[in-house]
Amino acid sequence: MNDNHITEVLDNAALASLSPSELDEIRAHARDCEPCGNAFAAAQLAAFVIQERAQAVIEPSPFFQTRVMAALREQQATESVPAWLRLWNSARGLVSSMALTTAALAVFSFLTSAPATPPADQTVSALSAEAVILGQDADELTYEQVMSAIYEDVEDR
Amino acid sequence: MDLDLARRAQDGDESAFAEIVRRYSPRVFSTASRFFRQRSLVEEAAQEVFLKAFTQLGSFEGRGSLEGWLTRITTNTCLNLLRGSKRRPELTVSDLSEAEDQWLETQMSDDEQPSIENSVVAADLADRVLSVLSPEDQQALLMIDGERASVKEVAEATGWSEAKVKVRAFRARKKVREAMERLMGAKEKPATTESR
Repeated sequence: MNDNHITEVLDNAALASLSPSELDEIRAHARDCEPCGNAFAAAQLAAFVIQERAQAVIEPSPFFQTRVMAALREQQATESVPAWLRLWNSARGLVSSMALTTAALAVFSFLTSAPATPPADQTVSALSAEAVILGQDADELTYEQVMSAIYEDVEDR
Repeated sequence: MDLDLARRAQDGDESAFAEIVRRYSPRVFSTASRFFRQRSLVEEAAQEVFLKAFTQLGSFEGRGSLEGWLTRITTNTCLNLLRGSKRRPELTVSDLSEAEDQWLETQMSDDEQPSIENSVVAADLADRVLSVLSPEDQQALLMIDGERASVKEVAEATGWSEAKVKVRAFRARKKVREAMERLMGAKEKPATTESR
């Protein structure tokens, strides 16, 4: 492994900025060292395409100045409107539709609402003390009641 | 002169601002062209630069040139526009267009220095190779290696320290050289492309 590889020299500065003696040293080394020769060839090509890219400059069109001045006037016109008015202008549609929807829902619920009073026949069922102690509802039948009802039915037959 | 023009524009003199746009748009376009190749994108960036400059005219104190001040705004604006763009992790021969591939082959088969056969193809290939870099590193490399700007000039145009510019340029140069070397290696030994 050659300790004097040139890759760091290649990466340290633009090839165009190297002196002729530095370039001669690089070339001499690149001739004898294959990896450095490849690196040097790649660096040369990279430097070339980068220079080509740097020259690809786009010129302003003749209308650019007019376009910028128009954009500036538009920007100034927007800024001259008070902030609350700009906010209202942008949110006006949304606020109006929300208000309309709320009003429609209110009317709809008023018209379709059922009476709030309970039906006359609905009374609170009284629970017996036994049912409360046993944790049973008065309407529920006990096991014994069910069995006796079945037996009574059988005896009747 | 610059300061007077800036103050007049700031005070609402439209013709003064129009003069700033007319005088400095070539410079703003040339800076934005480092970042974008499409005319529409360059124009969009340049327009944003001038609108931003108009609102910030009060911060121009006339210590440096108006051109330098606008260049810095252009650089920052373009970097902001590019901030969300994706970087290509690695470039392979299959990413190249047919024209770029052919151009590379021609350059490699020729023992002479690279020739300007087709500048557009070379610039396209540069864009492909540069796409492995961050926009900041691209900027440093294009200015130093492409336009032969000094480290100090890049530092002034970008607002970075000189040490930062050197680090960026070194890193960019190394990455680009390695990317190019990989492309050339793959062209030389197509059979071993997969194993690399």
